[in-house]
Amino acid sequence: MASTSYRPISRRRRVLVENLTAYAFLLPAGVLIFLFGLFPVAFAFFVSLYRWRRFPDEYVGLTNYERALGDFSHVLFFWLSLAALLYGGWLLWRLLRQIVTTPGQRRALLYLIPGVVLAAAPLLMVRWGGVLLPVIMNIPRRLRGQQETQGMFVNELFASFRFPEVLDAGNVMLGIMLLGVLLALLFTRWLKHAALMWRATAALLALGTGALLMQLTLDTINAAIASAREAGETLPIWTQIILISAGFGLLGAAYWLWGRALRQPGDRRFIGLAFVAVTAVLGAYLLIAELPRVLASADRDMLTGFNITIMYALFTVPFQLAIGLGLAYLLFQNLKGKTLFRMIFFLPYIMPFIATSIVFSLLFSHRQESIINNLVGAVGIAPQKWLLEPLGVGRLILGESVPPFLTGPSLALIVVIIYTVWTYAGYATVVFLAGLGNIPGELYEAARIDGAGGWQIFRRLTLPLLSPTTFFLVLVAVIGTFQAFTQLWIMRTPAAGRSIDTVSIYIFRQITDADPSYSYGAALAFVLFGVILLLTFVQNRIAGRRVFYG
Amino acid sequence: MADLALERAQTVARAPRRPVRWNTILTYALLIFGAVLALGPFIWMVSSSLMSSAEIAAGRLFPAVPIFQNYPDAWNAANLGLFMWNSVRVTALTVAGELLVCVPAAYAFARMRFFGRDVLFGIMLATIMVPAIATLIPNFLTVVWLSRLSESIFGEAGKWMDNWPALTIPFIATPFSIFLLRQFFAQLPAELWDAARIDGAGHVRFLRSVVIPLSRAPIMTVAMFSFISSWNALMWPLLVVQTDAWRPIAFGLQKFVNSDAPNELHLQMAGAVLMILPMVILYFFTQKQFTEGIAQSGLKG
Repeated sequence: MASTSYRPISRRRRVLVENLTAYAFLLPAGVLIFLFGLFPVAFAFFVSLYRWRRFPDEYVGLTNYERALGDFSHVLFFWLSLAALLYGGWLLWRLLRQIVTTPGQRRALLYLIPGVVLAAAPLLMVRWGGVLLPVIMNIPRRLRGQQETQGMFVNELFASFRFPEVLDAGNVMLGIMLLGVLLALLFTRWLKHAALMWRATAALLALGTGALLMQLTLDTINAAIASAREAGETLPIWTQIILISAGFGLLGAAYWLWGRALRQPGDRRFIGLAFVAVTAVLGAYLLIAELPRVLASADRDMLTGFNITIMYALFTVPFQLAIGLGLAYLLFQNLKGKTLFRMIFFLPYIMPFIATSIVFSLLFSHRQESIINNLVGAVGIAPQKWLLEPLGVGRLILGESVPPFLTGPSLALIVVIIYTVWTYAGYATVVFLAGLGNIPGELYEAARIDGAGGWQIFRRLTLPLLSPTTFFLVLVAVIGTFQAFTQLWIMRTPAAGRSIDTVSIYIFRQITDADPSYSYGAALAFVLFGVILLLTFVQNRIAGRRVFYG
Repeated sequence: MADLALERAQTVARAPRRPVRWNTILTYALLIFGAVLALGPFIWMVSSSLMSSAEIAAGRLFPAVPIFQNYPDAWNAANLGLFMWNSVRVTALTVAGELLVCVPAAYAFARMRFFGRDVLFGIMLATIMVPAIATLIPNFLTVVWLSRLSESIFGEAGKWMDNWPALTIPFIATPFSIFLLRQFFAQLPAELWDAARIDGAGHVRFLRSVVIPLSRAPIMTVAMFSFISSWNALMWPLLVVQTDAWRPIAFGLQKFVNSDAPNELHLQMAGAVLMILPMVILYFFTQKQFTEGIAQSGLKG
C-alpha cells in the first residue's frame, strides 16, 4: 500500500509541508477573524477620531470622547498615555540595566539601533493605514452622481493607493520596514542575542505608542483650553488631572498600606499603619470628590445608560446564579428524572429571545386582567403598568417623597430583569451541575466522617471547590448583561421612555437615529469596551484571592 | 474488604446523600416548582396561541374552545413563510460555513506544529474578549464597503447588503467555536495519529476519517450554537437588510408585533410558537450532546 511509494523525505521538507498545510487550514478562519474580529477594534478607534456620518468627514481628535465623557476624557487619556509611556520606560530600563550589569555585553547596546527601526515600522504601518482608510472609504462618495460602470469601483480602489499622500506614507513605511529587516538580519548574524533585540523593539514600541497618544491628548487639551479662553472662561483641566490622579494615587497607596498593616505582628505598628491608610483614604475621598464636577459636562444620556446597565447587572447576576446553584445542588443528588429536569431548566436559554420576550410582554401586560396582575392581585397588590412604567420601584413602593438614590430600577426594567433571570438561570444550572460533578467524592466522605452537617459541607466544602465555576459564570453573566441587546430592544415601549435604555441600546440608537453619527457611536462603544475590560480585570484580581483552584 | 471500601467510596462519590426521606420529597417539590416556572411561559404561549384575542386580554389561562385556525392565519398575516424561508437559508449557510472554516482551523491549532502557532492562538483568544457592540459599527462600515466592491466586480448579484453575504460571512469564523473544538481535538490520543501515519494518511485524511467521526458531540455543539445565534439574530439584520427578500424570522415577528398587528395578540402568540418550533424539534434530538458540550465549555473557561 503506502509502503510501495515510500521515499525518504528530508526533515526540512516535511516541516515545510506541515507548515504550509497548517496555514492552508487556518487561512479562511484567519482572514475572517482578522477582518471582522481584530481589525474592527482599530477601525472603531479610528472612526471615533473623525466626524463620520455616512462617510468620513474631518479629523476631530478626541472630540467625540469629550462629548461622551466631558472633562473626564482628558484625565482618562492622560492616564492611558502615561501608562503606556511608563510601561515602555520600565521595559527599557530593565533591558538597559541587564545589559550594563552583565560584563562583556556592552556591545548589546547596539541592539537599540535595529530596535528603533523595528518599532518604527508598525507605527508607520498604522499611519499608512490611517491615511489610506479615509481615501478608500470615500470611494462610494466620489463615485456618487456618476454613471457607474462595472469595475469602476475596483479602478478607484487601485487609484487610491496612488494618491500622493498615501503613496508618500506607503513609501516611508516600506523603506523603514526593509531597513528594519536588513538590520535585524545583520545584527542577529553578528551578535548572537536576538531576544535582546525583540525586547528593545517591544519597549520602544510601547514608548512610541505612549508618545503618540500623549501628543493626541495634549493637542485635545490645548484646543479645549484655547476654545474656552475665546469664550472668556477658564478651564482648570490640569488642576483636575492633578487632583484626580493624586486622589487615585492616594487610594492605591492606602490599599497597599492596608495590606502591609495586616501583615504587621505588633498591635502598635498595625494601628499606626492603619491610621495612615485611613487618612490616605479620606484624602483620596476629598480629591475624588472632584470627579462629579469633572463628569458634569459628560453626556447625560450616556451616564443614565450606564446607571441603568449597572442596575440591570446588579439585579440580574446574583439572582441568576443563586437560583442556578440551588437548582444544580438539588439536581445533583441522584434523583430519578435528573436529565428531564435539566432539559426543562435549559429550555428558556436556547429558545429565541424574540418569541419568549413577546410572551413575557403579554404575561406582564398593563391590562388589569393580565396574568401577572391577577397573580399579584391575589397577594393584595394593585395592578401595575409593568413594561409601560418608567417610574422606579423605590418610588412606587415608598411614595413620591423618596430620595433619588432609592428610586431604583424602573418597573419596566424589573420585568426585563425577571425575564433575563428566567432565561439564564437554566444555563447557570447546567454549568454548576458540571462543576459539582468535578468535585471528588472522597472529600464528601471525609467531611461526613468528621461529622460535618449538610449545611456545613455546602458552606465549607462545596462552595470553595465550586469557586472556579462561579467565577466563570459571574464573568460571563456580567459581560452578558453589559452587552444585552435583543430582549431590551423588543421590550422597549414608548410609554416607559428611556428607562430601560442601557448603554448598548444607546449606542445602537446612535446609528439607527434619523441623524446617525457613526463616530460618536464608535467612541461610546470604545468607552463600553473599556468598562468591560476594567470589570474583567477587577474580577480577575478579586478571583486571584478568592478562587480556589483545587 | 478493600472492594467493599471502594464500593462505598464510589456510592458516596456519586453525591452527598441525605438520609431522611422528607428531604427527597422537599427536593422534588422544589424541582417541580422550578420546572413549572421554567415551562409556564411556554405552556401559556401554546395555550394562548389557541385563544381568541379577547381571551388573551382577559387573562385566561386556557382557551374555552381551541382555535387552530390561528396558526394558518398568523402564517399568512405575518408573511411568516417568506421570513422563515429567509432564516432557513441564512442559518443553513452560516452553519455550513462555520463547520467548513472552524473545524480545519481548530485541527491545525490542536494537532499541527507550525511557526507562530501559540502567538496566533493567543491573538484569536483575545478577540473573544471584544464585545459585539464594539465591533458593530466598524463591521457595518466594512460590509457596506465590501458590498460596493463586490457589486462592482460581480454585478448586482454580488452585492453584500440586502443579500446573503452580509448576513452570513461575518459570522462564519467564530473564535469561541475554534477554541471549543481545539480543546476536544487536543484530547484525542496521540496513538491514533501515529497509526494513521503508518497507514500513509496525511492530515487531511486523518481529519476526515478519524477526527471528525470521533468528535460528533463538540461539532454538534458548535453547529447548534451557530444555529441558535443565526436563528435569533436581530441587531445585525436590522442594520444590513432593508428589503423583505432577506429579512429573517426575528425581524418578521418583531415587525408583526410592533407595527402590523399590535392588537392581534392571538396571532402574535401563534407566530411566536411557529418561530420556536424548529428550535424545539432540533433541541429534543440533540439535547444530550448539546447540554454536555455547554457544561464542558463552561468548566474550561
